Amino acid sequence: MATYISKRLLAVIPIILFAIFLMFSLIRLSPVDPAEAYLAAAHIHPTEEVLAEKRQEFGLDQPLLMQYFHTVKEIAQLDFGNSFVTNTPVWQEVAARMPATIQLAVSSILLAIAISIPLGFLSAIYKNSLIDHFSRLLSFLGASIPQFWLGYLLIFLFSVKLDLFPVEGRGSWQHFVLPSMTLSLALIAIYTRLLRASVLEELEQVYVLYARTRGIKERAIMVKHVLKIAILPMMTGLGMNLGKLLTGTIIVEQVFSWPGFGRFFVEAIFNRDIPVIQCYVVMAACLFILCNLIVDIVQLYMDPRISIKGRIPS
Amino acid sequence: MYKLKARRTLFTAVILIISITLMGCANSETGSSTEGTAKEANSITLSWPRDIGSMNPHVYNPSQLIAQSMIYEPLVSYKEGGKIQPHLAESWSISDKGLEYTFKLRENVKFTDGTPLNAAAVKKNFDAVMKNANSHSWLGVINVLEKTEAVDEQTFKMVLKEPYYPALQDLAVVRPVRFLAESGFPEDGDTSKGIAKPVGTGPWMLSDYKKDEYAVFTRNPDYWGESPKLEKVTIKIIPDAETRVMAFEKGELDLIYGEGLISMDSFNQLKEAGEYHTELSEPVGTRSLLLNTTNEKLADLRVRKALQHGFNKQAMVEGITLGLEEKADNILSKNFPYTDIEVEPFEYDAEKAAAYLEEAGWKLPSGKAVREKDGQPLELELIYDKTDPIQKAMAETLQAEWSAIGVKLNITGLELTSQIERRKAGDFDVDFWYNYGAPYDPHSFINVVAEKGWGVSEAHSRLQMKAELDQQISEALASTDEKKRQQLYSSILGTLQEQSVFVPISYIKKTVIYQDDVKQFNFPANRDEHPFNEIEMSQ
Repeated sequence: MATYISKRLLAVIPIILFAIFLMFSLIRLSPVDPAEAYLAAAHIHPTEEVLAEKRQEFGLDQPLLMQYFHTVKEIAQLDFGNSFVTNTPVWQEVAARMPATIQLAVSSILLAIAISIPLGFLSAIYKNSLIDHFSRLLSFLGASIPQFWLGYLLIFLFSVKLDLFPVEGRGSWQHFVLPSMTLSLALIAIYTRLLRASVLEELEQVYVLYARTRGIKERAIMVKHVLKIAILPMMTGLGMNLGKLLTGTIIVEQVFSWPGFGRFFVEAIFNRDIPVIQCYVVMAACLFILCNLIVDIVQLYMDPRISIKGRIPS
Repeated sequence: MYKLKARRTLFTAVILIISITLMGCANSETGSSTEGTAKEANSITLSWPRDIGSMNPHVYNPSQLIAQSMIYEPLVSYKEGGKIQPHLAESWSISDKGLEYTFKLRENVKFTDGTPLNAAAVKKNFDAVMKNANSHSWLGVINVLEKTEAVDEQTFKMVLKEPYYPALQDLAVVRPVRFLAESGFPEDGDTSKGIAKPVGTGPWMLSDYKKDEYAVFTRNPDYWGESPKLEKVTIKIIPDAETRVMAFEKGELDLIYGEGLISMDSFNQLKEAGEYHTELSEPVGTRSLLLNTTNEKLADLRVRKALQHGFNKQAMVEGITLGLEEKADNILSKNFPYTDIEVEPFEYDAEKAAAYLEEAGWKLPSGKAVREKDGQPLELELIYDKTDPIQKAMAETLQAEWSAIGVKLNITGLELTSQIERRKAGDFDVDFWYNYGAPYDPHSFINVVAEKGWGVSEAHSRLQMKAELDQQISEALASTDEKKRQQLYSSILGTLQEQSVFVPISYIKKTVIYQDDVKQFNFPANRDEHPFNEIEMSQ
């Protein structure tokens, strides 16, 4: 087990290096000159001398490969430089905004789980019933409505018309409701269908038949056996989506004025605040990689079949 | 056994994460909430797209002008029609040659920490600003400032290297020449790196602030001037325009004020709803085209005039801005000082445009749609900011309109920085251009026409009278004689108008929408100032 985890961890390094390389190249390919972007943000008239001075300070006059190694070295030390706009370390700015984003992401995941597990399970057991049709409709909607539009719709209905929740901001539990609903609908759409499919598959299995013949109560079979196994693919999906969720909060944070780090990123794009953009891209890449890794490890614990199949000597 | 243990650990971890999250929610619940502030008597809530920033009077982005202007005050202020009025300075005198400005400070002005505003405090702020003069070189007065002096307790003197008449206008801008109390300075005195706390002399004090969420300002009880009617102003940070409109419709906001804060569609919808007050300000700036005369084709005045006559400005402005902007005939709107000049507008007249082009030798070969001269097609490139929907729509309209007179216009959407870079390098035929507004204009405007480096002077370089124009501009900026200055301005603006390097399109206006109980809203004369001092709430 330990060897497996350490192997996987080692494999992460080249992936992250490649992600940094990709980010580095894209920024160099864009028409924005970091030195010029800095001066524009700082309100300094960009004369040739000042530009040359800044380019030297940012190391832009060095060979590209050197610049890349330098970037990697700094990122490894969690040094993303100073934001062009606020002049404070990017890491500090991001860290201050992270809790808000994580809270929103976690509350959305919890909401998604709380709704999709019963809904997916029931719609499999009562196949083609009203609840199944409803879950299908919800999934269609969730998969096809763009989040920003859903956000507006929810605000319009629940806040402006029904006056149940605040339009925007953060502060009380009511503030969590609409943004979490917006973020979780897409997840609910996926998980409900995933769970429904895997429950239906499990119901066909022989052990269910044996259990029934042994006279075990139907409810016990469903909850203790079927659900427990059927939920595994959903766990995988959940982990893969965690990264997506954290980055996906960009739009929702914008719509609901949520003071998180996605919104900070949007502002950085408008201000051409390159250190912030760099930090965001690297973090998003690491997050995706990390989430996949965690899912794999968690699955090991939950599904003994994976190790039995010989992928990992236990 | 081992597995069971591992599962338990996992379970505990999940529970822990959930409880931490819930604790986070619970914590923020106890934090101060801005709910309901809109309903509080004698207070107003509005929204702003960005956090108010560090409230440092001497720096720019990300600090927001509207909030800086609530806390910090200028020596002189810019009022209606460009009148400069006493503010922290109750009077001033200018030496005959226009080099020495001596300000008499008001006696009873105190910072909100109780310390008095005196000449030493004013000098300290000037010194802090001048320490980073290269960040402020866009502001004329900084470039000509020789030295400052605290003559006595209430007298402050500013000496210039050369005469520069708009020095007072420049002192009226919101940043960087405004005044922070001694207690607000950092230990090393260098405010460019940050300040200790925001302490000013203004009518408002920052009383509660949560980054990216809200800022609450309360009335300064010891304000030297007329006290504001409101007790509290809450600025909620709402980055999204549609959300802002919904928050307003729900009543969470009393006021939406600014430039481009809501979409033109939303403004008109709220206006038509009839339940709210909507107003447009006087023009705050002009949206123009800049034609580059370094291009051989555009060096010919007749071609430039043809382009002026060749599009239906009225229809374009109304169609694209939905009536929120007004068709512009003058390069600078008439509500700035020295700009009230009569001009003959270039009316839409495709025939006249065609005649000018014929006269200039650009003929339409039979069977072709684009005019030619010496085998060269009349083809131009317009660059625009691709993220600006108005520029994009206007570029497309011009492309269609000018093709009707035989001009092929290629339109290129660019990143804003690339657009500016190409303008400065003179690498364009046609570009969009905006003037700065009050209190910067008209002097900043004529300054960029003369001064190289911004692309505007370069675009004018093929005008026959360029040298003469530059001479007039430098005379106007240095002139201490009001009458002569007006003459010079009339001549400069008249020439520019006629030479058609600038093609005025529309006057940009600020918008405001407010609820029924908001009274006495007036647009500030200074484009960047806040409007809160006069507002009242009906009970």
